[in-house]
Amino acid sequence: MKITLIDYGMGNHLSVRNALSRLGYNSSISQDPIVIKNSDFIILPGVGSFRRAMENLNGLGLSEAIIQAATENGIPMLGICLGMQLLGSESTEDGISEGLHLIDNKISKLDSSSGIRIPHVGFNNVYWKTANALTDELNQNSDFYFTHSYAMTDSDKSADYIYCDYGAPFVAGFRKHNIFGVQFHPEKSQRTGLKLLKNFLEIKRA
Amino acid sequence: MLKKRLIFTLLYKNGSFLLSRNFRLQRVGDIQWLFKNYHFETISDAIDELIVLNLDDDETKIPGFLNTLEEMVGHCMIPVAAGGQIRSVEMASALLAHGADKLVVNTACFEQPELVEELVSRYGSQCMVASIDWTGPDNLKVFSHSAAQEQGLLHDHLKRLEALNVGEIYLNAIHRDGTGQGYDFDALNAVPNDWKVPIIMAGGAGHSSHLSQALEHPLIDAAATANLFNFVGKGLANARRELLQCEAPLAKFDD
Repeated sequence: MKITLIDYGMGNHLSVRNALSRLGYNSSISQDPIVIKNSDFIILPGVGSFRRAMENLNGLGLSEAIIQAATENGIPMLGICLGMQLLGSESTEDGISEGLHLIDNKISKLDSSSGIRIPHVGFNNVYWKTANALTDELNQNSDFYFTHSYAMTDSDKSADYIYCDYGAPFVAGFRKHNIFGVQFHPEKSQRTGLKLLKNFLEIKRA
Repeated sequence: MLKKRLIFTLLYKNGSFLLSRNFRLQRVGDIQWLFKNYHFETISDAIDELIVLNLDDDETKIPGFLNTLEEMVGHCMIPVAAGGQIRSVEMASALLAHGADKLVVNTACFEQPELVEELVSRYGSQCMVASIDWTGPDNLKVFSHSAAQEQGLLHDHLKRLEALNVGEIYLNAIHRDGTGQGYDFDALNAVPNDWKVPIIMAGGAGHSSHLSQALEHPLIDAAATANLFNFVGKGLANARRELLQCEAPLAKFDD
């Protein structure tokens, strides 16, 4: 089984890779479009600003490869934190920049009008109305580790969502066909996080 | 509900982990000592995050620190903030490449604010923790260079850090550092109105009741301890259990 972590110069691949190896999976880190398109599973990690991340993805010729892998090849894909946001349509972080458009949702700063502190840092509980493959055997209101200032909308109606409340509800995760994203860090979320990663890697390709 | 956090801070210099008391350092043990005495494989059951600071200004020792960092990250599935001696984008990027999730800056906030700005823009606010060493009792002052150089008022520095868009503040009381006498909450009087940046309380925790006082405080988001002796063995796990029994707002981890 070929699991590829996409390297675009901004992710913390090491932690994700460590988590996968705890589950008994080998993974490789790559920025080669051919390797990416021939994977069984793709993970897009990410720490950093949306604009720089998209500049890197475009500069390395990876945007096209990711889109093709997800749509034409139907490879199960998981975006983590910034990696999930990159799957969206656009972000207002550091000026407006376009994302990969794999899900039709915009990304904007968390609304702090209720007095919440930003960034949103720490464990917070998540919940869902419609279960999806990622939430299999997970309890509603399980705690996951978050660290972010921006979040995605849920306007794309063709996806199932996981939510978290911070000031107001925001998208903590989604599934759109073979494309998945989580705003939290499953690789930093204890056994619950490992279970979620395992759920992702057990998805059968359509 | 967002939970508060329990953080363990490790001070590192030239292959050893150290105990600091009012910024005087004492070597305690190497990484094997740490793994063994802190049951590192299960430390993520006890704490929410780890902070690792390199106190060595000898640049030839940086590769050793990076290797230690990577080894620690491989042994615990927990968010790790790393810092000490961050004077360039290259150093920051090396820490992240060796497994750090966040960066801790202190002296750079005074001497190289443009570097802090660059790191915020590159890695995002959530990646940047500004550590502050302060002391009182009156006119609370901040210090850089491991508490050696006075840098003005705490209140002004907090405003400056807010403007730099750092993601978190690590508030360490120099006079309580390593004493185990409990936190000094006076620093919170210097926090500007309408403050939005998460605050980590540090300096003085010696007992779970100290951690509990911090976690109950509405202005505090996380409680940190760097005391290598007071929580050795199962001390951190016991502290978390006691805190949860008193209904401290910490995450409960599933078995």
